[in-house]
Amino acid sequence: MRISTNTIYQAGINKIGALQSEQAKLQQQISTGKRITSPSDDPVAAARVLELSYQQGVNAKFADNRETAKIKLNTLESNLTSVTNLLVSTQSTLVGAGNGVYSNQERAFIATELQGSLDALIGLANTKDAYGNYLYSGFQSDTTPFTATATGATYAGDSNEQLLQVDAQRQMATNVTGNNVFQAGGNDIFTTLKSLVTLLNTPITDATTQAAFTSGLATAIGGLQGSVDNVLTVRANVGSKLNELDALDTAGSDRNLQYEKSLSDLQDLDYASALSDLAKQQTIMEAAQKSFVATTGLSLFDYI
Amino acid sequence: MGTNILSIGQSALNAAQIGISTTGHNIANASTPGYSRQVVVQVAAQAQNFGYGYVGQGTDVSSIRRVYSELLTRQVVNSQSVSSGVNAYSAQLNTIDNMLSDASAGLNPTLKSFFDSVQDLTANPSDTPTRQAMLSNAQSLANRFQSTSTRLNEIREGVNTQLSSSVGLVNSYAKQIASLNDVIEKAISADGNPPNDLMDQRDQLVLELSKEIKTTVVPQSKGSYNIFLGNGLPLVVGTDTFSMTTVNSPTDPTRLEVAYQSKTKTTILSGDSLPGGTIGGLIKFRDESLDAVQNQLGQIAVVLAGTFNAQHQQGLDQNGNPGGALFNIPDPAVNASGYNTGNAVVASKILDPRAVTASDYRLQYDGTNYYITRLSDKQMSTFTSLPQNLDGLSFDVASGTIAAGDDFVIRPTQNAATSINLAISDVSKLAVGGPVLSSAANVANTGSGSITAPAASGTYGASPLASGFSLTYNSGTNTLTGFPASQAVTVTSGGTTTTFAAGAPVTFTAGATITVAGLSFTVSGTPANGDQFTITPNTTNAPGDNRNGLLLAGLQTQGTVNNKTTYASAFGQLVNTVGNKTRELKVTAAAEAVVLEQATAAVQSESGVNLDEEATNLLRYQQAYQAAGKMMQIASQLFEVLLQLGQ
Repeated sequence: MRISTNTIYQAGINKIGALQSEQAKLQQQISTGKRITSPSDDPVAAARVLELSYQQGVNAKFADNRETAKIKLNTLESNLTSVTNLLVSTQSTLVGAGNGVYSNQERAFIATELQGSLDALIGLANTKDAYGNYLYSGFQSDTTPFTATATGATYAGDSNEQLLQVDAQRQMATNVTGNNVFQAGGNDIFTTLKSLVTLLNTPITDATTQAAFTSGLATAIGGLQGSVDNVLTVRANVGSKLNELDALDTAGSDRNLQYEKSLSDLQDLDYASALSDLAKQQTIMEAAQKSFVATTGLSLFDYI
Repeated sequence: MGTNILSIGQSALNAAQIGISTTGHNIANASTPGYSRQVVVQVAAQAQNFGYGYVGQGTDVSSIRRVYSELLTRQVVNSQSVSSGVNAYSAQLNTIDNMLSDASAGLNPTLKSFFDSVQDLTANPSDTPTRQAMLSNAQSLANRFQSTSTRLNEIREGVNTQLSSSVGLVNSYAKQIASLNDVIEKAISADGNPPNDLMDQRDQLVLELSKEIKTTVVPQSKGSYNIFLGNGLPLVVGTDTFSMTTVNSPTDPTRLEVAYQSKTKTTILSGDSLPGGTIGGLIKFRDESLDAVQNQLGQIAVVLAGTFNAQHQQGLDQNGNPGGALFNIPDPAVNASGYNTGNAVVASKILDPRAVTASDYRLQYDGTNYYITRLSDKQMSTFTSLPQNLDGLSFDVASGTIAAGDDFVIRPTQNAATSINLAISDVSKLAVGGPVLSSAANVANTGSGSITAPAASGTYGASPLASGFSLTYNSGTNTLTGFPASQAVTVTSGGTTTTFAAGAPVTFTAGATITVAGLSFTVSGTPANGDQFTITPNTTNAPGDNRNGLLLAGLQTQGTVNNKTTYASAFGQLVNTVGNKTRELKVTAAAEAVVLEQATAAVQSESGVNLDEEATNLLRYQQAYQAAGKMMQIASQLFEVLLQLGQ
């Protein structure tokens, strides 16, 4: 076949140009560590990578939310521990209060101690979290939940639970409302304590007052036990939520690993094959350049 | 005899000189684009009969011919049109492909940050910095939509510019070809010899023309070329030319269309009638890919804004007011055709963003019926009146009178991504709270029943509760009473739904979902007789209320786009579409490049200059010249002999 001089040059340029662009592509892949440098390299994988990295991000956000939930629930848990301790020590104080040898004055001392416990309890019930929100007032997080009254305390919060999305399919309440902790099941702990204070401050003068004292004390001890039971139930509930969060964390980090692996399979470059390709390209390039120079260097005009 | 020998020598000398000139011309034009090598056609001169036989009279140069194959040249021209078309398309789409290739430049990172900040808001609903962060992220998301779409608009303008300049080139080539036609025809008719270089120039112009637009060349017997556009419209006829031009699309002022200018009128050429060349490639890119990409992006913007706004409007803001729109999104763009005779203004609104497609629509009226065509699949719906609703959109004549033959194009999504922006800047107007509160009368209640916070459905906002209501449990009948008097109640438990008539006592099932007046909630546990649960409309937003925030955050994982795809997946699909098309074009472009290369090599093999060959020719003609000179010297010596005889 007859070859024109133009064709010799054009073919050389085309071949070297094609080799250069292949090398540039390899170079880009090697420097980024990614097999896919633009969606057209592998459209299916490129879309899948977008989707997976998005889901990985969403998964990471749920982990964030779980951390937030843990902080809130741990704050609750530690507050409820203090409440339990306070109530248990109040119970042991009361066991002594029934002792018949106590004088009216000694009972008044116990009353003062109980009043102190009541105040401390109201204080605990009005605790704020790190953000300055009341723990026990439901959605009314800037309203003081409990205000002491002559007969105990009134609740100014609401009964709403604040939920957080802690996993794709799980919303978890991260608060408990004050009425559910302190005033549930017909046992209002504040009323119970206040009535005890009143009872202990009432002097025993005769058999009637003695009988009233004994029955009042029995009712109060029963009520107090009911409240302690309720607080313990709430604590158990908080504890089980914390456990669930740990389990969700494990599942979440497993999922994260799977995302990492899938992403790596989809988009990461096989360095060994890329580097070997690059070496091969270089050899071909050198050969192409040498043969181009050799071919174009031949001219009959050199001999005329 | 002597003069005869001399004239033979002279004819040989002359032929050799012409040979050297032609070879020199070939060498000089070895790299001239479109040049075909020329060869000297030599014939023996008419011999003279002297009775004893014919004595040769030397040589004649009959013509100088270019080595040219019409067939091979046509192949290059055709292949060039296809290749230029694919390359123009591919180059444009590559820009979009590269734009989307950067993981941090796409929509998804900002979309994710946006929803992250919505999640943060549910953890801390009344915290001002958190609210501000959510608004800022919403702004970033709107900005990302805008910048991506603006880039697409720039590409659109680039297409307009390139179309104009290509059309300019077509007209200029047509004029040059016509004037070459004139010169070539005259030259051939003068003495029958072809003006080789002019013909090469004309063929090169045809090749250049085919880069811009696909044409058909019909050579005429007198040597001129008639050139027709792909669909048969004449561009060059002999020495006459017709021109092409660009005009604004009658239904879209941002779009330049290629038109054919005849003596009396201007006709817009459809993309189908412009199959190849840069012009064909650009138009195909715009019709097939650019519009689709921009519409799909706009569709995500429409759906995101629409669904987010709808949910936001069901919430309660920090001031205790129902939420407003968070994003502003433009109504569908409606363009009336410039050829309309009526003065109707057609309006379209988005009714259901989840049903909005990425297609454009055409509304036509024939005097009796209205035809609405979804342009993506050419599906036509016929109506006898307006307004009508279709694909989540409303179509109506807002003002004026529509005339038969009027034509409107409705683009619900094309401008959406360019125009999306934030509707609120006041952090207190973020509606994170729920519109309704519930409470159990804990102190008085003796049972363990509890009630969840009511969730409002999409219809609640239209008819909110005027006042609250209290449910009372009756253990004797195991029922709840006290529901709003005029509202039926449905109870769903374990997949079974039971409806109770308005005012009737509702049988209590622990944990069942109770729905009334657009609200749903659950009463669980074991209530005691007379226990009460209260539901009240919320007018003072509670700072810890995050219920609407949770619902807003939940939109992230819902199938909202086309009622089935999440926002992020919809963007993934867009990237996938662009990637697939770019890949397809890369493969096609590579294949077409090989075809063009081979066709060009074939032409070059026939017509191209080979310098070694020319060197050989040079030697040959040089030797021929030297030989002719020697012969004339001998003739001269012969003459000398005669002269010496006379002395």
